Amino acid sequence: MADILFEDIFTIIRMNPDGKKFDKVSRVEVEGEHFNTKMQLDVNTDIYPLHDNEKFTMVLAPTLSLDGTPDTGYFTPGGRKSLADKFEYVMHGKLYKISEGGSGPNVTVEVYASFGGLLMKLSGEPTIASKFELDQRLFLLMRKVG
Amino acid sequence: MLDEDCELLYLSDRPEKLILEDIPVPPMAVRPSVLVNGGQSNENDVTSKLKTIIQKDWELLQIEVAQYINSDVRGSPQNQQQSRPLQGFVQRLKGKQGRFRGNLSGKRVEFTGRTVISPDPNLKITEVAIPILMAQILTYPELVSNHNIEKLRQCVRNGPERHPGANFIRDPSGTMIHLRFTSRKRAADELKYGHIVDRHLEDGDIVLFNRQPSLHRIHLRFTSRKRAADELKYGHIVDRHLEDGDIVLFNRQPSLHRMSIMSHRAKIMPWRTLRFNESVCNPYNADFDGDEMNMHVPQTEEARTEALTLMGVQNNLCTPKNGEILVASTQDFLTSSFLITRKDTFYDRAAFSLMCSYMGDGMEPVDLPTPALIKPIELWTGKQLFSVLVRPYAHMKVFVNLTTTEKSYTKSEETMCRNDGYVYFRNSELLCGQLGKVTLGNGNKDGLFSILLRDYSVHAAASCMNRLAKLSARWIGNHGFSIGIDDVQPGKILKDGKDDQIKLGYKACDEIIQEYNQNKLNLLPGCDSAKTLETRVLKALNDLRQSTADVCMKELHWRNSPLIMSQCGSKGSPMNISQMIACVGQQNVNGQRAPNGFIDRSLPHFPKKSKIPAAKGFVANSFYSGLRATEFFFHTMGGREGLVDTAVKTADTGYMSRRLIKALEDLSIQYDDTVRNASGGVVQFIYGGDGMDPAKMEGKDGEPLNFKRLYFKIKATCPRTRAHLNLSPEEASNFVKERLSSLDGRCSKKFKKSLSTFLEGQIHSLKTTREQFLGERNSSGCNEKIAANISGITLQQLQAFLEICITRYHLKKIEAGAAIGVIGAQSIGEPGTQMTLKTFHFAGVASMNVTLGVPRIKEIINGAKNISTPIITAKLKYNNNVKTAEFLKGCIEKTILGEVSKSIKIELTSRKAAIVIKLDKKTIQGSQLGISADSVKRSILQHQKLKLKDEHIHTSDDGKIIISPPETDRNKLHFSLHSLKGMLKDVIVKGLPTAQRVVINHDEKKETYELFVEGTNLRAVMGIPGVDGHDTKSNHIIEVEGTLGIEAARECIINEIQYIMKEYSMSIDNRHMMLLADLMTYKGEVLGITRFGINKMKESVLMLAAFEKTADVLFNASFNGRHDDIEGVGECIIMGIPMPIGTGILKVQQRVEPIPNLAYGMDSLIS
Repeated sequence: MADILFEDIFTIIRMNPDGKKFDKVSRVEVEGEHFNTKMQLDVNTDIYPLHDNEKFTMVLAPTLSLDGTPDTGYFTPGGRKSLADKFEYVMHGKLYKISEGGSGPNVTVEVYASFGGLLMKLSGEPTIASKFELDQRLFLLMRKVG
Repeated sequence: MLDEDCELLYLSDRPEKLILEDIPVPPMAVRPSVLVNGGQSNENDVTSKLKTIIQKDWELLQIEVAQYINSDVRGSPQNQQQSRPLQGFVQRLKGKQGRFRGNLSGKRVEFTGRTVISPDPNLKITEVAIPILMAQILTYPELVSNHNIEKLRQCVRNGPERHPGANFIRDPSGTMIHLRFTSRKRAADELKYGHIVDRHLEDGDIVLFNRQPSLHRIHLRFTSRKRAADELKYGHIVDRHLEDGDIVLFNRQPSLHRMSIMSHRAKIMPWRTLRFNESVCNPYNADFDGDEMNMHVPQTEEARTEALTLMGVQNNLCTPKNGEILVASTQDFLTSSFLITRKDTFYDRAAFSLMCSYMGDGMEPVDLPTPALIKPIELWTGKQLFSVLVRPYAHMKVFVNLTTTEKSYTKSEETMCRNDGYVYFRNSELLCGQLGKVTLGNGNKDGLFSILLRDYSVHAAASCMNRLAKLSARWIGNHGFSIGIDDVQPGKILKDGKDDQIKLGYKACDEIIQEYNQNKLNLLPGCDSAKTLETRVLKALNDLRQSTADVCMKELHWRNSPLIMSQCGSKGSPMNISQMIACVGQQNVNGQRAPNGFIDRSLPHFPKKSKIPAAKGFVANSFYSGLRATEFFFHTMGGREGLVDTAVKTADTGYMSRRLIKALEDLSIQYDDTVRNASGGVVQFIYGGDGMDPAKMEGKDGEPLNFKRLYFKIKATCPRTRAHLNLSPEEASNFVKERLSSLDGRCSKKFKKSLSTFLEGQIHSLKTTREQFLGERNSSGCNEKIAANISGITLQQLQAFLEICITRYHLKKIEAGAAIGVIGAQSIGEPGTQMTLKTFHFAGVASMNVTLGVPRIKEIINGAKNISTPIITAKLKYNNNVKTAEFLKGCIEKTILGEVSKSIKIELTSRKAAIVIKLDKKTIQGSQLGISADSVKRSILQHQKLKLKDEHIHTSDDGKIIISPPETDRNKLHFSLHSLKGMLKDVIVKGLPTAQRVVINHDEKKETYELFVEGTNLRAVMGIPGVDGHDTKSNHIIEVEGTLGIEAARECIINEIQYIMKEYSMSIDNRHMMLLADLMTYKGEVLGITRFGINKMKESVLMLAAFEKTADVLFNASFNGRHDDIEGVGECIIMGIPMPIGTGILKVQQRVEPIPNLAYGMDSLIS
């Protein structure tokens, strides 16, 4: 299995905390089970509906190929086996910012990524950011659990 | 008269010669007689005047001769009621249509065209579509050479009637005569009535010969074109039709700035309009409601090159006014970009690929990005489409990095903004943000196109605009975008919300009115109760309109077309929308609510003295719901004011621009960095204090670079790799210091300082981040990496950043020869046209009006001695105390006796007659005036007109002043008492006579007080103890000059113009103001930009004659024997020679053999 940058199970706390702004896209606010993580994520709920209190597992990976070949950033479709096969919802995007939040002992790290405009803000203990690099290509893979 | 006296009188010649003994009679060419049908001739005015002079008797001769020269001279017998005064010589010269302005400074030219314009998004921004009909008449003389002979042969064969044709062949060698002869013969042979045609040809030849005396032209209409084509040789010149890629100049009046005339590449197209890309509408200020534009075709290779490099659209994307981009997307392009980049636009493969091919006509390579959504179905987002648009294929080395905030930004959360209003491009990928006018439109320094232009090239920006134009035009054509009645129909919630708001607003107004009626109103500083009422009601009503607008904007569906347009900035504002849907709002005339047209009321529909909103011009209805009759009437009042204002302002600004241009036209940058006028006088030692080109400034307020953006870009484009070393804060700051110390002297100190302070800030933030992550826990490799990811910088990045900053700084220096004077004049004159209405403004306090807009600019530029609202801003030494402020106010403000006395009465008793004044102690104490009966006595004694002496005035301690008049005559006593009483009322007992009013301004934030003094006499205000003289300013330039000197006046001019521009939220580079201020002050006194000032600034007679008062200037010049060196721009244009400015700054020197001395007279017989 290729190296995975981050994996956790999240529970949806709220849908659209600021009110529904877009028809097909919703911003979900979720909380992870480990590392004290919280996340805001834009999901195309038109094709992948989500609801309050649902749980899903989410994986962030740098490539979809199972042998770990790095992704080129340009689209090469093909019927190969990939990491995505096990997941229901897969997005591709780019990590554009890592910043610090909080201060002192409660210092947290925020990781921002954009999946073609659908944004992700992942915050948690500094350890979660150890594998991330700026300008990294990211695949976000989701699958509902329970 | 002695010759010495002549010199003293500045006469160049003997005064006898001023007497006209013979009158000049010009040749017939100057006064042609026009033949009217039937052999009658219509004589020229000059001829008829000459006739009268010959016929007139001796008495009237002098007047007639005077009128021959200047027909405005009066003195002829009054009975002569001529219908039209005859034109004298002076009349021929003066005025806009006169010789100087109409024929010498500006001329009619050939090779021009004019027609209606229309848009075409498929054209490049540098192109202009020219109708075939026009292209067949406008020609370019192309020299036949090895490379083009076949093309030109084809042109010749096509002749004048088919498009890629030609109209003439010219032969410089002179051997053409033969060809012409043969071709004519041949033409003659082919025709039946040869000799008749022959004569026609002769006519044509003569006409052409006149036009080009040195070259023979062959008119291709009459010759055998095939033959001519075959005989075409190298060195011939073919006047061929315009073809694709030819360079033309394109212009729209009014030409207010240099971007009003730019050079485009021709694109010959069918139909009858001139077409260009909508992105270029802005610089021309063109729309397509019937506008016409002009076109000129440069006729030499040199002219073309110069036009292309100096006037090309691609080289004028930015305005030199402030460095903002001017050629940028407009209207529909913004709308469609806005809709495409909406967060929930998704495209499948087919749609996405189609749209990718839209932007390059399917001819450009496109690398398809990985879809944002891979599962459950492949979907691309609109933002990805924009990433493709900015960088279509992987080999394109364009990496745009920018962040801006669009209108909808929530002011927090940065990229996670809930409205998606934070635009973030990283390495040419659009990560977030819905694009609108701020990113794509004009008037921005951090927009997409500005950054492409600055960081990459003109070509990158231009081609990106081309792609965007094509994509959005096609996209919006398929998508459809229009506005209908349902867009302006308010829903139930909106209607109720609006009604609630109006009810609330009316209630607030009613309360204020009630307070006013009961006289309970808390007065605003410096206002009486009526004024206070007006200001407060006006504010309440403005708030009301704002709140209805807010309701309206909140309740509209996002698909509402006007809403989309206002959000993306393509057209309309929230106010326009709410006027259509919710409420039109208060109608103002002259900044006030509708005035009373009838007795005590605005219209007879309302009760007298009614102050309610509806009676004073508040329109509660919307344009959709329809206006009531009274509302409609009020609306027309406001509308008319707007119309009148624009009509008046255009004339005013036009004249102002003309004066500015005339005063500044010859200023240019020299090779020693100075700004000089044509005669070599230094106006500035270094342009703008740093010698930077305003058109190239990237930062705010004319800063050369935007360090923050560059730093961000460098960090994104030079990625950290393992090999690169992350710098610790100490290492970084050492490196910076080292590099900056090795800078050469060509960088200004200011630049160096701003660069180092910026980097210090960045290094500081790096330090804090590292402390966060490394300080408390053990420094593990993992945390170090995170810290580096957050704000680390590598050596390579820092190096690249510094080098880019320094090299780019040097590239931004202004070039020698730049006609910076004209640019400055245009930069100040052009915004004037946009300053509409709002001629007054409240300077902090409601009651204090300051003139603004064009009238104020006129005052400043004219160097007016009397300005309409002089205001002195006095800072106080102890500025945190109301008491001191009030005390000083009392000291400065003019206080007259009538204001501080309870009564001024005439007491007549049998024994004495006197005036008794009782002072009002309460008022005096209340405003801390410190007036006593004795001080009043002193003031009365000092009054010049009263002529009272010490013994006439008696004071008592309880504030009583008894004045017994010096008049002793009993008969006159009564009258003198009354006149005395009238005058006593106006005796100034305290304060400065010039200070009409003083208002205390309270700065809520800083808890400080300052004084605004309405009036003049800066010196006295500065001298009052308690006023901080160092920090006291006046807006009266002439007074500042008199009080503080010429340097202060210069500063004052700069600040005042900048202040006005800021009020209208127009940004203009400070360097332009500096230049103007320097020009106005460089002679040591403030010279206005009027004919008097310009007279003192310039020496050239011709230029002054072309400016104003042509005849006076010329008469004086001949009287004084002036000479003109023809150095300046105006003179050179008049004489038709190249001017020493811009590319003409260079001259070629050549060593020539000295001319042998010619001996005059006869050769001596014996040598």
